[in-house]
Amino acid sequence: MRISGLAARLVLSPTVLVTMVCFYGCAVWTAYISFTKSSFIPNYTFNGLAQYERLFATPRWGVAYSNMFIFGILLVVGALAVGLMLAIMIDRNVRGEGFFRTVMLYPLSMSFIVTGLAWQWVLSPSIGVQHFVRDLGFPNFTFDWIAQQDRAIYTLVFAGVWHQAGLIMAIMLAGLRGVDRDIWRATKVEGIPTWRVYLGIVLPMLRPLVVTCVVLLSVAVVKSYDLVVAMTGGGPGFASDLPGKFVVDFSFERANIGQASAAAVVMLGSVFAALAPYFYVELRKRPQ
Amino acid sequence: MARTRSALMGLVMSMAAGAASAQPADVIHWWTSGGESKAVGVFAAEFNKRGGTWIDNAVVGGPAARAASMNRIAGGNPPVATMWNVGVAVRQLAEQGLLTNLDDVAKSGNWVANLPPLIVKNISYDGHIVAVPVDLHGGNWMFYSKKIYDELKLQPAKDWDEFLVQAEKIKAAGYIPLAIGGQPFQEVWLWMPVLLGSTGKENFKKIYADHDATLAAGPGVKKAFEVMAKLRQYTDAGRPNRKWNDTLLLVQNNKAASQFLGDWGKGEFAAAGLKPMVDYGCAIAPGNQGAYIMNVDVFAFPKNSKPEVLATQKKLAEVMMDPAVQAQFNLFKGALPARLDANISALDVCAQAGKQIIDGGPANQMPNSALAFSSDVDGQISDLITSYFNSTTMTADAATAAFAKIIANADK
Repeated sequence: MRISGLAARLVLSPTVLVTMVCFYGCAVWTAYISFTKSSFIPNYTFNGLAQYERLFATPRWGVAYSNMFIFGILLVVGALAVGLMLAIMIDRNVRGEGFFRTVMLYPLSMSFIVTGLAWQWVLSPSIGVQHFVRDLGFPNFTFDWIAQQDRAIYTLVFAGVWHQAGLIMAIMLAGLRGVDRDIWRATKVEGIPTWRVYLGIVLPMLRPLVVTCVVLLSVAVVKSYDLVVAMTGGGPGFASDLPGKFVVDFSFERANIGQASAAAVVMLGSVFAALAPYFYVELRKRPQ
Repeated sequence: MARTRSALMGLVMSMAAGAASAQPADVIHWWTSGGESKAVGVFAAEFNKRGGTWIDNAVVGGPAARAASMNRIAGGNPPVATMWNVGVAVRQLAEQGLLTNLDDVAKSGNWVANLPPLIVKNISYDGHIVAVPVDLHGGNWMFYSKKIYDELKLQPAKDWDEFLVQAEKIKAAGYIPLAIGGQPFQEVWLWMPVLLGSTGKENFKKIYADHDATLAAGPGVKKAFEVMAKLRQYTDAGRPNRKWNDTLLLVQNNKAASQFLGDWGKGEFAAAGLKPMVDYGCAIAPGNQGAYIMNVDVFAFPKNSKPEVLATQKKLAEVMMDPAVQAQFNLFKGALPARLDANISALDVCAQAGKQIIDGGPANQMPNSALAFSSDVDGQISDLITSYFNSTTMTADAATAAFAKIIANADK
């Protein structure tokens, strides 16, 4: 027993070490840098909260930061709703299930870069949907959200939901297939409408799967960088900027490590603050 | 057995020979497009001819290449030479003591007398030369469709008010008056000639080179922002996130009348088999007569712990600053040689026109953002311009105030 415990520890220790150094070590270093005078290269002179003061006085950061919440909430809710609807539709034993399942999963096999480019073309007023509908004989049709500062962020949500919904569908479908057939029979006998069975009985049973989906989607939100770069480039102006792009721009193109670190720390803190209570509640329920 | 021994001997001898001759030079750069890689091949060929060994280290994309250089410098294994955009960034590298001092090569090659003073200032730190400028791109060109201009009987505008009047005519004729892609750097390329044309070249230089905050809050800057807002109405709906070369296709195909960008645009025309002033027009931007906004590529030579690298670096610097080599290099690059004494008779008509302006003296030689500001401040200006150009609510007054604030806080 003792020896096997030791062996397990030995086997695990490289992973633990890598995690400690690469993840926690770098996170601590980044946090430290954000309190220094660093700009072009690291400078370890302590500078208090100056980097954060400047960060929050930067209009572009304000836009990027609030966009993270708009994009995040809409993407998580949207992808969950669409994915669940698709899963339920397929679960109703449609004909050609295999075909639909494959089609719905296809977007996921594409990178965000390809997704972003394709959606940029679809939404571009001069070549995409607007152009197409106008050519059909509706010359006043306007759909130029991607060109409008206050709408561009929602176009990213479309693309994100389109990309992620297939994955959610697959996970949810697996869950739906795991529901005991007896439950369905029992509800039939009682004469409960199908939609109520889904809403009141089946969905609560799938709760752990919903948590999994929320985790996967949240990760996609936080790391979304390539989608913005390919689709809107953060524009028009910087209206559809996201914190990930802000950090990369500032650390590489602008050569300002201090600002980039401060932004990264705020990002990490916000994600933690937003998700920690949810996981606390969800994960505490499990063991009983 | 004997064969093995002689092979080993050969290996040892070749290693000894390698040590005796110069170190091979690995050079990091981001010139990967057709014309650019041909251009950099000129340096490689000449360096090899003079007994060096060029190891090409092309990285796709400027930020990635700079990150690669920085990582190697920080990791103690610096490249022999690395390309950089000239400007404050090079001085910051020098400030950290990371760059080789090139004073003696510069002296023997008589660099200082043959370079624009602004460039000398930007390749020097603390009185020492630390980088090699290889080209002099012009940033304030207007490329226009000769077909549309001829059809509407227009001449390139002499100032921005005239340009706006022409734009109305072009729009009425069913063409896009101004082609621009919705990416911040393209909007900045439009902004600089607009500012220069609106505020005059002396004031432009004072704001950019001397960071004069009073002028930056003045009427010339406000006028420039007003012109920008008007110009927005003459762009097309396909603008969002369109690449500059895709945008240039609109001018090539005579769908759009004009586009403002640096002379690197000529490379795209050349690739399409189009000739300047025959198939397309080039003119200095409205109100920019007698002003050349310089955009310069340099090579810097990071300090190396191995003493033999120094000789290689100096030899490489010599090759890159040779007037004949620079002339040949820029034939492919589409820019002017940084050395003013290089023979440019082989360059095209646009370049010849640019050379005339440059030769008018320092009063005509304007800095671009990168020459004037740190990449941080440059980025702040870019953020302001792009948000203003895409906003329908921000006023010219508010933009001017924000611009003045950035200039006031810019480090000298």
